[in-house]
Amino acid sequence: MKSSSEHRCRQLRERLSRYIDGEMTPPERRAIGAHLRHCPCCRTMADSLRHTIDLCHRAGSARLPADVKRRAQSRVSALLKESRSRA
Amino acid sequence: MPATVTKPPDSNLRIRPKGNRGTDYAALLRAAQGGNQAAMERLLMKAQEIAYRFSLLVCGHADDADDAMQEALLKTYRHAAQIKEPEAFRTWLYRTVKNACLISRRRRVDEPARLHSLDELSVAPDGSVQALEIEDPGRLPDQVMENRRLRGALHRALQTLSPENRLIVFLREVEGLSTRDVASVVGISEANVKTRLHRARLSLREHLEAP
Repeated sequence: MKSSSEHRCRQLRERLSRYIDGEMTPPERRAIGAHLRHCPCCRTMADSLRHTIDLCHRAGSARLPADVKRRAQSRVSALLKESRSRA
Repeated sequence: MPATVTKPPDSNLRIRPKGNRGTDYAALLRAAQGGNQAAMERLLMKAQEIAYRFSLLVCGHADDADDAMQEALLKTYRHAAQIKEPEAFRTWLYRTVKNACLISRRRRVDEPARLHSLDELSVAPDGSVQALEIEDPGRLPDQVMENRRLRGALHRALQTLSPENRLIVFLREVEGLSTRDVASVVGISEANVKTRLHRARLSLREHLEAP
């Protein structure tokens, strides 16, 4: 029985990304949701995977450092000014 | 009849945050092509921001960030008027940045000692690396420190991925591209992107959980 349960957990973990990304059919989602409600190990795994993904999202919202932003803006201004003077 | 795929209505649904993900590049490009100067300036800034994040997170060459930003700026400016399908602009931009970073990388003989963190580095005009000031408005100092620690841990975990998987995580998770667009930029199938992304997520999770 234990090996069957472990097999089920392994199979579920292979599909966790699809579950988290909302890429499953309703029956698939219900089946995984039911398993997660009753399996603390898989639930912990799903929670920490979500946490990892959220951390990556937050990295994308980091802003340019002030000095880098200033140089970027200077480059844009210089390019557009040069373009206008050519025109 | 194909099975219907729906989003889960429960709390497990992952909500993608805004930020650079919320930018409508196609609308910005159309406005720039129509002569809107402010839109063109914003587009050129966006191109450089992407090149900066890409340099630091994917290539790990903080010293090359300025070169990559310059390249992304010029290519975007030169080609913006010629792009016929504004919807395809975003993938074009990421492909351009990827190539710009790879070209900078080939120019260098040495590999980076480590992958740099957005929290840790800023590159000065003379090429020296400086500490970054992270904006975390409205947060308590403890939260700011904790967020900084987590971001540092994430960057170290990213370093353990293969270059291609790091690129996939960057495009999909950090920049918020769709699986289809990631496949287009990387040049692999969508199924392959999903498989690699899942493996990369598990690997990142494992490194983040490690004591």
